[in-house]
Amino acid sequence: MTTAALVHVIVSGLATGSVYALMALSLVIIYNATRTLNFAQGEMLMISTFVAWSVQQTFALPLGVILPVAVLAAAAVALVFERLVIRRAIGATHWDVLIITLGLSLALRAVAGLAWSHDEFPFPSFFPGRPIALGPVRVAPVSLGIIGASLALMLALAALFRWTRLGRAMRAVAQNQRAARLMGISVERVYSLAWVLAAVVGAIAGVLVAPVIFLSSKMGLIVINGFTAAVLGGFGSMPGAVLGGMLLGVLENLAPLYLPSGIRYSVPFIVLIAILLVRPAGLLGRIEPRKV
Amino acid sequence: MRARWALGALGALLAAWPWLAPRYFVFLASLILVNAVVALGLNLLSGYTNQLSFGHAGFLAIGAYTAALLTLHAPAVPVVATLAAAGALTAVVGLAFGVPCLRLSGLYLAMATLAFGFVITEAILNLDGLTRGADGLRVPVARLGGWALATDTARYYLVAGVTVLLVAAAANLARTRTGRALLAIRESEIAAQASGVPVARYKTIAFGVSAFYTGVAGGLFAFIVGFLSPDAFDVFMSVDFVVMIIVGGLGSVPGSIVGAAVVTVLHDSLAGFQNYRPLVFGLILVACMLFMPGGIAGFGARLARR
Repeated sequence: MTTAALVHVIVSGLATGSVYALMALSLVIIYNATRTLNFAQGEMLMISTFVAWSVQQTFALPLGVILPVAVLAAAAVALVFERLVIRRAIGATHWDVLIITLGLSLALRAVAGLAWSHDEFPFPSFFPGRPIALGPVRVAPVSLGIIGASLALMLALAALFRWTRLGRAMRAVAQNQRAARLMGISVERVYSLAWVLAAVVGAIAGVLVAPVIFLSSKMGLIVINGFTAAVLGGFGSMPGAVLGGMLLGVLENLAPLYLPSGIRYSVPFIVLIAILLVRPAGLLGRIEPRKV
Repeated sequence: MRARWALGALGALLAAWPWLAPRYFVFLASLILVNAVVALGLNLLSGYTNQLSFGHAGFLAIGAYTAALLTLHAPAVPVVATLAAAGALTAVVGLAFGVPCLRLSGLYLAMATLAFGFVITEAILNLDGLTRGADGLRVPVARLGGWALATDTARYYLVAGVTVLLVAAAANLARTRTGRALLAIRESEIAAQASGVPVARYKTIAFGVSAFYTGVAGGLFAFIVGFLSPDAFDVFMSVDFVVMIIVGGLGSVPGSIVGAAVVTVLHDSLAGFQNYRPLVFGLILVACMLFMPGGIAGFGARLARR
């Protein structure tokens, strides 16, 4: 295989990986703030992408409205969930909340199926379809677009967490909830904002990936890849989520080239188990010391 | 004394069920019992030693295919031995996987087991010389001596007998040294370790026992369903098992059984709703956990205390 073709595969792997990374980030944002794993993250992405697409198609609006509508829809869904369901789960353990989010994800997927059927729909892309030649290498603009947009979003998130009051509050809650509350941070508000922020990141990932994998009620299953990426990188670590996502994306795209068809789909999972055996808390994760 | 009466009544109902219920409900009861065995096995692992597994469909598949292939190639072997072999082989796989997994906890273990389940179904799909891959495998009729278990009722009695045995073993856990160690780990891992319980060893044992239960259940599953195909053992099946033990109650033997019954019956009775089925099922899960945190067992314990 030529180097140019290899670069092409790696670039599309990085594009897939960027979406996994965004998915992983949105899981990590909620997990860090509330210590719950949100099973419904993928379905929230799917619903908001569907809503944006419907609004754009129904009113024949320019493509530019898709992103803001998706973001608004996602924020609304997240707020409703957090306020009406998750916050009512008083006395519930993390396991109970896990089942609640699982129930929500099943319900959302069913609702999408009822509203839009379980078919696949082509989704308009912001990027031209013809490959660009960069020297001898030809890459799809959509890959570059996904990578660029994701990187921009990741930088924005990093800035948010580093330099804003909200970001500091979220980091404080992630570190020590009780101390954060004593410092005057409203932990409840951080919970809500974490859900909204995660949903917004997910919605952007949805709009980016929908032209590639088509719009369908099943696209929420990408949450499994996001979860894999987050674990690979070290759950709770944001740079880890990005690294894990990219690694997983490249691995998935490279494996079919070199391996017999029988095991190519297992490779990401086998690599994952192998990495966890060597680094039980993921690539960049920290093992929390046990306090007795 | 009251508990003994209730147990007796339950036993009588279990024995009389094929005469009371129509044929389909005999099959459904078998399925509930098989799921109850898996839930028990999973609860030993997750409820007691806090190791959450999203890969038990993989263990179930190993047990199911072992039992089916053994019956296919050695029809003379009595079904009890086949089930024991299915359980034993799955337990060996469970131990082999459980030892390296000792280093993992929480979400990392959940992910590793999810990956395990995926690799198992892919392996079954690709070892098609042995397992017939995606075409699926027809399971031959189970035999016990000269007696073929060819009807739903006969298979029901096989399932019920094995289930009663395994439930009794789990319920009497506290009478054994291993069981007491597991109970201690359930209450507090750190306290157990401080009292001299070798936590790592018992966590490994829990992995093996859990896999054994699930392997036996897999064998039973193969015989009652009669047809195996790798795509049935997907991650959603594993998630269903986790739902059973959390809805039922973590670390509770009756909770496992009730959880398995609730989830199995819900899946079955909602089939008529077609497209609304996952919606209704999802909302029931949400309502369940909102109103009964700690699952049905936790709810029952609170009622009893009142």
